[in-house]
Amino acid sequence: MRRVTPDTIAVVDLAVCDRCGLCLPLCPPEAIHLELNILTVDDATCTGCEKCIAPCPVGALAMTPLIPSPQPMAPAHA
Amino acid sequence: MPDVDVLVVGAGPAGAVAAWEAKRAAPELDVVLLERDRAVGSPVRCAEGVGDAGLREFAIPDGADWASRRITRVIFQAPDDTEVLVAERDIGWVLDRTRFDAHLAAEAAREGTEVRVGAEATAMIRNGGGGGDGRWHVQVKERGREETYRARIVIGADGVETMVGRWAGLDTRVPARDMESCAQYVLQGIDFDPDAIYLQFSDAIAPGGYAWIFPKAVGVANVGLGLVALKTDGRNARQYLDAWIARRFPNGARTGFTVGGVIVHTTIKKTYAGGVMVAGDAAHMINPLSGGGIINAMKAGRLAGCTAAAAIREGDTSERRLSAYHLAWMELLGEDHLKYYRIKQALEHMDDAFLNSLARTVNKIPREKRSIGRIFTHALIKHPQLIPVAARFFV
Repeated sequence: MRRVTPDTIAVVDLAVCDRCGLCLPLCPPEAIHLELNILTVDDATCTGCEKCIAPCPVGALAMTPLIPSPQPMAPAHA
Repeated sequence: MPDVDVLVVGAGPAGAVAAWEAKRAAPELDVVLLERDRAVGSPVRCAEGVGDAGLREFAIPDGADWASRRITRVIFQAPDDTEVLVAERDIGWVLDRTRFDAHLAAEAAREGTEVRVGAEATAMIRNGGGGGDGRWHVQVKERGREETYRARIVIGADGVETMVGRWAGLDTRVPARDMESCAQYVLQGIDFDPDAIYLQFSDAIAPGGYAWIFPKAVGVANVGLGLVALKTDGRNARQYLDAWIARRFPNGARTGFTVGGVIVHTTIKKTYAGGVMVAGDAAHMINPLSGGGIINAMKAGRLAGCTAAAAIREGDTSERRLSAYHLAWMELLGEDHLKYYRIKQALEHMDDAFLNSLARTVNKIPREKRSIGRIFTHALIKHPQLIPVAARFFV
């Protein structure tokens, strides 16, 4: 698991991805998976290092802001 | 729960040969060969070129339907398109991988291997520890059903994206500088020498790698390139290839497209664990100079299959027993790949102007006298920059 929460993480555009698997061994925390012909980036494991972005032969990977999950709201009082 | 002796994950050249060698060495074993895709040999992610001598150790190409084209010449092209012909006889073949991989899988089946297509391994854990029998429990998804295979030995021949290696705790990651990003079209209706493969080296065309033309038939070829993303101007491999083809073959019909990664590194530090061996691209068993991996994969598959058969017969599938596979591979080719890797590093400093000048030097040697030794000697005299490269041949 990563130690620091990154500002951005990798996302894959499945309409462009060719499922070649090139990005899997490039990922230092092994956050990218290819299963049943679907490539996924685990957003809890991705460290935002960007090592997978440029090598993609078709440009299917990009960085996107990691939006923190919203805090639970305080109960409203009438 | 199906109980098998050897479970081979991935029915490419490494996996098919591993399966048939295990079965041939020990016919009493249950060997199962899994292929994730619905057809063995598809999709093709390969330029499909192999050397003649290496191929013949495993299959006879003459007249075979899986051999597209016999190659008798290699043409190196400098960045300015100066051609350097290296003429030899029986250099190699361009395969039809769809048929070739199916042929290898059929050979494995003929030996008694059970081949299962559309069957994907999705996880595996070892029943180890104190009371465990040391077998691997492998989850396999097949037509929507999930089954657990119990295997004495798992051979991971699952390619560049290997999961078997990861599940076994092996480090199969690769630094970005040693990953070639490749793109390739099948082009029809183009003009070139159909008996030659063409390799063009240039930082402007394919930085850190090369572009290729591998003939499939007269007027038809795999036309592609591999590059190192760290050295590019920001375009991806497909964009570089589109630019090269627009210049070289503007009228070619693009009837196929594929992409993939070629790991131009050296063999992973450890290719085995208790009850597991990884082979081929999964273990980075690729010639780091040429990027060739098919014959390497088959040779590794043969070693893994034979080691698996012997280990099971001896009743010892421990990590220590399977380390014999790693040692045999390193002796056969792994040590050579370490040398090639050092040469690759030295060659990285040659720029386009130097390559153009080198091509003209070599072309002054009469064609019939153009042996590798003579080319090397001439090149060293005219281009002292090459001396550090030459030195690396001997270290």
